[in-house]
Amino acid sequence: MSTELTMTLEVFRYHPETDHEPRFQAYEVPYDEDWVVLDALNWIKDHVDGSLTHRWSCRMGVCGSCGMMVNGDPKLTCAVFLKDYYPRPIKVEPLVNFPVERDLVVSLDGFMDKLEAVKPYIIRDDVNDTSGGEYLQSPAELAQYKQYSMCINCMLCYAACPVAGHEDEFLGPAALALGHRYNKDSRDQGQAERLDVMLVGEAIWGCTFVGECTVVCPKHVDPAGAIQQAKAVGAQEFFKRFVAPKGAGV
Amino acid sequence: MSGQFHRPHAWAWFLERPGYVRFMVRELTSFFVAGYLIVLLVTLGRLGGGEAAFAEWLSALSGPGWMLAHVVALIAAVWHSITWFAAVPQAMPVYLGEKKLPAPLAAVVMGYGPWLTVTAGIVWWVLR
Amino acid sequence: MAHGTTHEHDVIIIGGGGAGLRASIAIAEENPDFSVACVSKVYPMRSHTVTAEGGAAAKIKPNDSLEDHIYDTISGADWLADQDAVEYFVNEAPSEMIQLEHWGCPWSREPDGSVAVRPFGGMKIERTWFAADKTGFHMLHSLFQTTLKYGNIVRYDEHFATRLLIDGNGRCRGCAAIELRTGSVRAILGKAVIICTGGAGRVFPFTTNGSIKTGDGMAMAYRAGVALKDMEFIQYHPTGLPGTGILITEASRGEGGILVNKDGYRYLQDYELGEALDVSDPRHPQKRAMELGPRDRLSQCFIKEKWAGRTIETKDGHVVHLDLRHLGEAKIDKKIPFVRELSRNYAGIDPVYKPIPVRPVVHYVMGGIDVDSNSATSVPGLYAAGECACVSINGANRLGSNSLTELLVFGAQAGRHAARFAMDNPDYDVSELEAQAEDEGARIRRAWFDTSRRNGERIVTLRTELHDAMENGAGIYRNADSLQSACETVADLRARYRSVTLDDHTNSFNTELTAALELGSLIDVAEAMAHSAIERTESRGSHQRLDHTERNDDDFLAHSMAYHRPDGSPPRIEYKPVTITKWPPGARTYGAGSGLKGEDR
Ligand SMILES: Cc1cc2nc3c(=O)[nH]c(=O)nc-3n(C[C@H](O)[C@H](O)[C@H](O)COP(=O)(O)OP(=O)(O)OC[C@H]3O[C@@H](n4cnc5c(N)ncnc54)[C@H](O)[C@@H]3O)c2cc1C
Ligand code: SF4
Ligand code: FES
Repeated sequence: MSTELTMTLEVFRYHPETDHEPRFQAYEVPYDEDWVVLDALNWIKDHVDGSLTHRWSCRMGVCGSCGMMVNGDPKLTCAVFLKDYYPRPIKVEPLVNFPVERDLVVSLDGFMDKLEAVKPYIIRDDVNDTSGGEYLQSPAELAQYKQYSMCINCMLCYAACPVAGHEDEFLGPAALALGHRYNKDSRDQGQAERLDVMLVGEAIWGCTFVGECTVVCPKHVDPAGAIQQAKAVGAQEFFKRFVAPKGAGV
Repeated sequence: MSGQFHRPHAWAWFLERPGYVRFMVRELTSFFVAGYLIVLLVTLGRLGGGEAAFAEWLSALSGPGWMLAHVVALIAAVWHSITWFAAVPQAMPVYLGEKKLPAPLAAVVMGYGPWLTVTAGIVWWVLR
Repeated sequence: MAHGTTHEHDVIIIGGGGAGLRASIAIAEENPDFSVACVSKVYPMRSHTVTAEGGAAAKIKPNDSLEDHIYDTISGADWLADQDAVEYFVNEAPSEMIQLEHWGCPWSREPDGSVAVRPFGGMKIERTWFAADKTGFHMLHSLFQTTLKYGNIVRYDEHFATRLLIDGNGRCRGCAAIELRTGSVRAILGKAVIICTGGAGRVFPFTTNGSIKTGDGMAMAYRAGVALKDMEFIQYHPTGLPGTGILITEASRGEGGILVNKDGYRYLQDYELGEALDVSDPRHPQKRAMELGPRDRLSQCFIKEKWAGRTIETKDGHVVHLDLRHLGEAKIDKKIPFVRELSRNYAGIDPVYKPIPVRPVVHYVMGGIDVDSNSATSVPGLYAAGECACVSINGANRLGSNSLTELLVFGAQAGRHAARFAMDNPDYDVSELEAQAEDEGARIRRAWFDTSRRNGERIVTLRTELHDAMENGAGIYRNADSLQSACETVADLRARYRSVTLDDHTNSFNTELTAALELGSLIDVAEAMAHSAIERTESRGSHQRLDHTERNDDDFLAHSMAYHRPDGSPPRIEYKPVTITKWPPGARTYGAGSGLKGEDR
């Protein structure tokens, strides 16, 4: 650190063993224009208060661990710089719409269940055999789903989605985009199975297309777009199932 | 041990992000669109009720209150359409091989283009 | 630490990265009635495999041959790789990669729909599969998502393993792990165990490795009496961003990027790496030459340029320039978009218009837990795979893009062998192992939650000293003095480690505690590295001694084996011969006409 300048971080603190209510704690941190918000949190943990708790690993925006609310916006803290806020104080909170485990750490339980629910893997009728070489997939076929495969599971989109905050049945942006990613993959044959899950109750229909998930997504996944496309497929399927229910030989 | 902390939901959640406000505005515009649909239906009803009823209805509609309502409904409908067309490239992406059609172009091809064509068609049919 | 519950499965896998997930699937698929536990200190999709960018090597194209892949790997390893392991690796690689393709990995494609390959450093021909420049990300997510298909894979997410549990017959039967949410220490038991905990780049200050790469599994095995093999071999990647250490993938050079010094000169041509072809020459980039030389050589060239005063000084140290401008925006965006994103975000430079400043950065540990060609360690029932293991296919220098493939090949292999061991050795005494886990909980509590001990040193103080000692003592170039002082500092830190105190004495999500335990692992691993390095009085691959500059096959065509001494005294270093089958050691040449078999030259 080459400078005596400092700035203030106001950090959300909550400890499940002792607290009933969260509180904010202010820390003075050295100001370095190369620092991201995560660097400041790590500096606090290393030098000032070892009890401050947050998740991180890659510090290059790809592991998806470090999502937090930064001045009210869901952000990857390894991708937002102090200089973007200096000299105003920065308020750091855990992602909204998730239960808080401790300080800046939220629970992923519900999120993981939702990811699993959409059956995010290739489903095919044939036996798995590698001796015939790779399945062919043209660059154009790849382009159909590539964008939706870029999700790092950072959950910023859930923190930006009012429906995800109010409706438990709603599978949410990342999970639905992931289901759609597999439906659009030319190697996959599992769309019907996935729609069985997605078309139930509010699972997909909960989405009212607020569109903020796409705005905050750091990887340009466009979950909102994926959901609308999936809804269109779903609507057709819904109609088909209505006129010719399953097992009616269609 | 008090366990996980669940943050309470704000009643006025729709004021929390500018994007939410925009969303609410878009949703509200649909009331005007729906309202104007009712006006149209009534108009059709009156048309069925004979020439006199229709003329009476038309003159009522040209009052200042109704004019204002028309302007508001028009603005709402236009705004609703714009947001709708802005969403079209997301909901119905067009691929040319590996490339996705850029959003503004897709909005024109999939939204404004057909809209203007149909509108022009109607105008021609009415005025011919 | 509260004592937690006991959980029993058939096979326990510690680590949810590429290797751990591949092992999990191998077992789950072939043994549907087995229950597989996957224990990971982070959610699997956070594992560091996620950061890998460039690609994964396997012969797939008709113009390539298994033989060439084998030779590139062995010569790249400066003949320290075990040739039986390399052969197995190269032979299995294609089917493993196709398998991953079948599981949905979005590989980049040729127009005809077949997978695309790109050139990589030290490889004679293009054979590196890639998913743009987020290969590891896509591989990890494809694997993780595929595990969700198997009901018999039970995940222990955010469980920090601290100790291997070994029964009275000397067999490994599970691990003790802190459940982060509650802080209780669980006994996770099984009939066999596979360690897949990844590398240890965090021993060094400037690294491409994320915060979780602290060598925990290496340290656990080391403490359990398994040797750490070839730990002196640490790979510096030639192109990291100054300041952050974020990697700029070798794929950027595979696609044609060039390295220039402060005079704009392609300095690699001065270091026996071949001729600098013009970037417009259709033969550029030339395989196994210049920018596509092996990483150890390129990092060493950087230091020599620096000594000659031809690097560029910045506030984050000396750099050279990686110039991609001639590739053009379209190619950069299609083939290496993440390079552009990272350079823009973290260096403020758009490589379409400006060269990227880069410097060598600690990237990969070639050494690791000693395993045989079946991925088995010397402790029955204990296996290891992935970056934490040393089988060894990487020898003295890993070739870029061999590691991701290694995760698949040896992850699957370790899974199969562990499953067989579990089948053959089903019975163990639960109470004995539970007692060990309980004991581990008590040990952690005593060591870290003793509130009467106050104002000891902070974790960061020791970690910083460790970093300085390793960077100064065991960097790209080393000598007896520098290594001696590294050994001494590590010994000193080991003594002081016991007096570190924590601010946080609570149970739930105590990441200060886990940071302290990680520091313990780093110290163990650093000790093995420094001592193995000082004993190897030759220069080979990434281990370059200024006081012993030549390779010495008479004395050192052998793996170093570092054995932990429980009393805290320096490790015992032994040697184990390298397995040489068909490829006798030869001169390691790059540049025009390189890549010929040793005997052909
Ligand atoms: C930036 C970067 C780019 C790279 N690019 C390439 C490339 O292009 N091609 C290539 O071939 N290789 C590349 N590599 C190397 C390669 O990615 C790694 O060697 C490989 O991913 C390691 O995988 P792994 O499964 O062994 O470990 P990891 O993916 O690191 O996983 C380790 C797992 O172990 C768990 N774990 C660790 N400690 C504990 C503990 N105490 N308790 C419980 N769980 C624990 C972690 O939670 C994690 O799940 C790159 C590496 C880096 C850093
Ligand atoms: S869709 Fe985007 S915001 Fe949502 S989890 Fe994935 S990467 Fe994060
Ligand atoms: S630390 Fe990995 S995304 Fe921020």
